[in-house]
Amino acid sequence: MFAALPRILRTSSFRLTLLCIGSFGASVLILFGVMYWAASVYMSNSLDAAVDSDITELADVLQVGGDAALEALVKERVRQTPHGPMFYLLQDAKGEVVAGNLLPVRGGEGRFELKVRNSDAPHVTAHAHSIALPDGGYLTVAVDSFPRNKMRKLILWVFGCSAATSLLLAFGGGALMSVNLLRRIETISRAARDIMAGDFSRRIPNRGTGDEFDHLVASLNAMLARNEVAIESVRQVSNDIAHDLRTPLTRLRQRLELAQRQARSVEEWRRAAQGCISDMDAILETFGGLLRIAQIESGVPTRRFTKVDLSELLRSVIEVYQPMAEEKEQRLTADIASGLIVWGDRELLTQMVANVIENAMKHSPSGASIGLATSTSPTMIAVAVSDSGPGIPAEERVHVFRRFYRLERSRSTPGSGLGLSLVEAIAALHLAGIELTDNGPGLCVTLRFHAPDQPPPARYCLAKSQQEARPLPASSSQCRPDTTEGERSGPV
Amino acid sequence: MKILLIEDDRENADYVADGLREEGHLVAQVASGAEGLICAMGNGFDLLIVDRMIPGLDGLNLVKSLRAAGNHTPVLFLTALGGVEDRVSGLNAGGDDYLIKPFAFSELVARVAALGRRPHATVAETRLHVLDLELDLLSRTVRRHGKLIELQPREFQLLEYLMRHAGQVVTRTMLLEHVWDIHFDPHTNVVETHISRLRTKVDKGFAAELIHTVRGAGYCVRGPA
Repeated sequence: MFAALPRILRTSSFRLTLLCIGSFGASVLILFGVMYWAASVYMSNSLDAAVDSDITELADVLQVGGDAALEALVKERVRQTPHGPMFYLLQDAKGEVVAGNLLPVRGGEGRFELKVRNSDAPHVTAHAHSIALPDGGYLTVAVDSFPRNKMRKLILWVFGCSAATSLLLAFGGGALMSVNLLRRIETISRAARDIMAGDFSRRIPNRGTGDEFDHLVASLNAMLARNEVAIESVRQVSNDIAHDLRTPLTRLRQRLELAQRQARSVEEWRRAAQGCISDMDAILETFGGLLRIAQIESGVPTRRFTKVDLSELLRSVIEVYQPMAEEKEQRLTADIASGLIVWGDRELLTQMVANVIENAMKHSPSGASIGLATSTSPTMIAVAVSDSGPGIPAEERVHVFRRFYRLERSRSTPGSGLGLSLVEAIAALHLAGIELTDNGPGLCVTLRFHAPDQPPPARYCLAKSQQEARPLPASSSQCRPDTTEGERSGPV
Repeated sequence: MKILLIEDDRENADYVADGLREEGHLVAQVASGAEGLICAMGNGFDLLIVDRMIPGLDGLNLVKSLRAAGNHTPVLFLTALGGVEDRVSGLNAGGDDYLIKPFAFSELVARVAALGRRPHATVAETRLHVLDLELDLLSRTVRRHGKLIELQPREFQLLEYLMRHAGQVVTRTMLLEHVWDIHFDPHTNVVETHISRLRTKVDKGFAAELIHTVRGAGYCVRGPA
């Protein structure tokens, strides 16, 4: 049955309006009822008082002057006020009219309403009071009840007019509100349809009034941005797999072909197989790395987050790499504050720090020094890994987080080109900021974590999208984990 | 060792079974979870190798049921589900070790051997011996031929793990997992470096080499053959 109604009548805001009109109307009705009743009672009482004072006066005259005096006075009063507001009637014991300008009544004592039907006041309604006289007759005094009736009519009229106006306004307002809401919702669903049709970059327009709809739209847009990133990352993984795994697979194929053509002895076959296995391992490693990045970027494992002792984690990573640095004749130093706690996944954090250190060691020549230092502010914990290697040119810094991106000169060094992408993915998952700066000479990678008492996982999407939009600062200052700056430039 | 292999992929199952038989193990194969559970409950196997995704009863629930029934046969999960989450759930379900497909066969052999040697009832050992090398777990000291060797805590842990598996091959990933608690593969030769330092301290200046590199597989602590 609702389907047949125009769309506007089916909106929830319109139904809400109806509900409001209903409850508000009921209360106004009660209010008016009480007012009407109170005014009527008040007016009736004042009419009673007027009639009663006249009756008392007449009764006094009767007592003092007898029937004749009363009759004379009634006649005199009738002569004075033929049109009211007071009307009189004096009847004898048989009910015959002795004097007065009212039609005879047969009601006995009491108060009643009557219609005055005489030539002087043909259509007057009056409020009457009859009393019995000692001779068995009745004296009736009536007062024109026009003021009371007039007031009643006025109240009803005011009520009618105001009710009609408010109903009109309420319906109008409700309709307007519904149209407005419908229009905004229509905007959202139109955007949703566009997005469903494949336009992932589409966003819902915001009116900028800061109302609850704008808040909703902002949240939805943030969600869409996050989804777009996720979809884009899936797309990129497929592209990466298609393009970047092609090279090693081709090499593997060539090796096998070569073996088939040229291998003569068992030893040669064995060597070829060995080569194939190591090629294959490299491919699998790349593949695993890609999967891992995709898995992390999809943001799923956040529920495994715990408080992690970052100080202890950093020390153990340093301990793992210390002997390697010595072997490469590099100096690996660490300045780690105690008791640093962050919110996150221990394993992923270990991998992130390990990747950064590995990256520094791999790209620095022997004799270089690599330093890890921590610093804190009330809200942030910063970990800076600096090296004295060749560094990364400022214009290339934005790109190094891309999958398979490798600087021209490091093409020859071993590695899959996924290390920093993984670092970035893990950092984003932990809402950590990541920053590359010049260490003059060398590179400084700074990771900025939120202090654990304020884990803001809900802001993940914003952090991610803003981080991508934010150009990495190319500061030339000496590398220091400057936490105050981090508060400004970290993800918000 | 008597091993039950629960794996539905016929080709892979045959490959694994044949390889383990070549190593001298007795291998029984089943292809479904329900069948696997019945076999595992009945016959005294020394080790179960379980695929996570098998028809009938999946590997995870199979192991859960087995453990709930009070069966403590060591279990090695062999699976393509390689996420951190998957490993954690596997180990929590009662698995003893986890190997992700694709794997190097030598890795499987090493892990199987390690699980087989794991004492079923843990007898508290306080001293480990290999030839004239002696590691005291209580005083945390290492002596070779009576001479005290100074080791860093991590080196001590490394040597302890190797000596607990004396005579068996221990792979790089096993060492990373058990000594450093690292569950990803650092691309650099972290393990090699640490082993070579340990070797310098333990083997240098002594007649017999105890820490051996097994090419393509890992490391092994044993006396000269």
